[in-house]
Amino acid sequence: MIRRLLAYKDLLLVFIWREFLIRYKQTTIGVLWAILQPLSLMLLFSFIFGVVLQMTQKNYPYTLFYFAGVLPWTFFSGSTNFAVTSLSHNINLVTKIYFPREIIPLSGVAINFIDYLIGLTVYLLMLLFYRIPLTWNFLWLFPLMALLLVYTTAISLLLAALNVYYRDVKLASNFALQFLFFATPVIYSIDAVDNRWKFLLFLNPLTFIVENMRRVTIEGRGIVLWQMGAEMLGIIVLWLAIYKIFARIERAFADVI
Amino acid sequence: MSSEVVIEFKGVWKKYSKRQALNNSLREELVSLLTGRKCREELAEGEFWALRDISFAISKGECIGLYGPNGSGKSTILKLISNVTYPTKGDIAVKGRVAPLIELGAGMHPDLTGIENIFMNGTILGLSIQELKRKSPEIIEFSGLDDFIEAPVKKYSSGMYLRLAFSIAVHSQAECYLFDEVLSVGDENFQGKCAIKINELKNAGKTMFIVSHDINVINKYADRVIRLSHERAQN
Repeated sequence: MIRRLLAYKDLLLVFIWREFLIRYKQTTIGVLWAILQPLSLMLLFSFIFGVVLQMTQKNYPYTLFYFAGVLPWTFFSGSTNFAVTSLSHNINLVTKIYFPREIIPLSGVAINFIDYLIGLTVYLLMLLFYRIPLTWNFLWLFPLMALLLVYTTAISLLLAALNVYYRDVKLASNFALQFLFFATPVIYSIDAVDNRWKFLLFLNPLTFIVENMRRVTIEGRGIVLWQMGAEMLGIIVLWLAIYKIFARIERAFADVI
Repeated sequence: MSSEVVIEFKGVWKKYSKRQALNNSLREELVSLLTGRKCREELAEGEFWALRDISFAISKGECIGLYGPNGSGKSTILKLISNVTYPTKGDIAVKGRVAPLIELGAGMHPDLTGIENIFMNGTILGLSIQELKRKSPEIIEFSGLDDFIEAPVKKYSSGMYLRLAFSIAVHSQAECYLFDEVLSVGDENFQGKCAIKINELKNAGKTMFIVSHDINVINKYADRVIRLSHERAQN
């Protein structure tokens, strides 16, 4: 994949740049939207669960707790949501010109990642504001981000390819994302979950990622190494399998789309 | 003109389906993933041959006219050359970069300005960002858009849109150009410019395919004509 993409590096860059331009064309506040969306979700959750329902979340500041969950979640849902229709909405390109098809869904992942990084900067400022002590364990954030990126890329490619064949995928994915939101500890902590269900929730890689992002940044604790190893292995195998299938059926896209 | 063969079709067949979606194609693909590709020669329900046993060889620098009625497979041939789709059976060998002008302005976005679309469309046609930076003044000049180049493309007239798209296309540095019914773009003045540009490309030894159902266009440019009647090619 890397070799293929290297040959089309400029095209990928231009696609990312195009999506970025289109996204903020004719908007008045532009890139501020990247911050506004996760921030408003964070405020909503903090208000409902913290103020209205008076729930405490492991004694973390509410806002930090929710923001830490909202950021990876919006990245994942934003990317996959973009990816599903990315190929089927670009029929013109797919049926007229050849280039590695993964470039289109990947450009969506990339712009959502830019938004994620902007949000992350705000998150870091908040950590400083709450005077959370930073430890070396904070560096675990980067391998976690890499996991999130690879997992999101894999799911995005899969959904984009499937939607070329079956438009049901678009409808189903809207629905599945809502389910997945509750299956990911964005608005709750996995520690509050009964052991019977924990295993089930950990089948969702986002659970591991979100929980540990909180753990390494807010608590300053490290990651359990065997868990990290298992997640990495699982996600890489998934990615390889999906990419292999994608590269295989890609050549038929123009005929079936 | 050298006689190096740049495009060769050997017994190429292409099957399409009339059905809206191939209900079992994903399963078929998965099966063929496991068993290796096998050729399915019989037509299933709703399928038809767009091309049947097409063979030809094109040498470098030739200008080929593809002529035939609607549905005779002209565009399919171009799609096969540009690797957008693959043959059901047979072999295709293509050397060098191909600029598929199958549809002008594929990848242009209405909200982006002319100059932004030059980069978009240009990279899609295989140019690098560096090359485009160097060439964009030339492209803008050829298109004759002048001060409209900073306006979003949605504000263009359809003639302006096509002129920009054509201009990007002919400036892409390919070895082979595929023109699909696009040579009747713009007003007389612009058509004159197109004719000059095409002769320039010809003299530079570029291979060209011109698809049209207008025999006059083909006679004007092509050295050799491939006639497609339904399903078969004759030289």
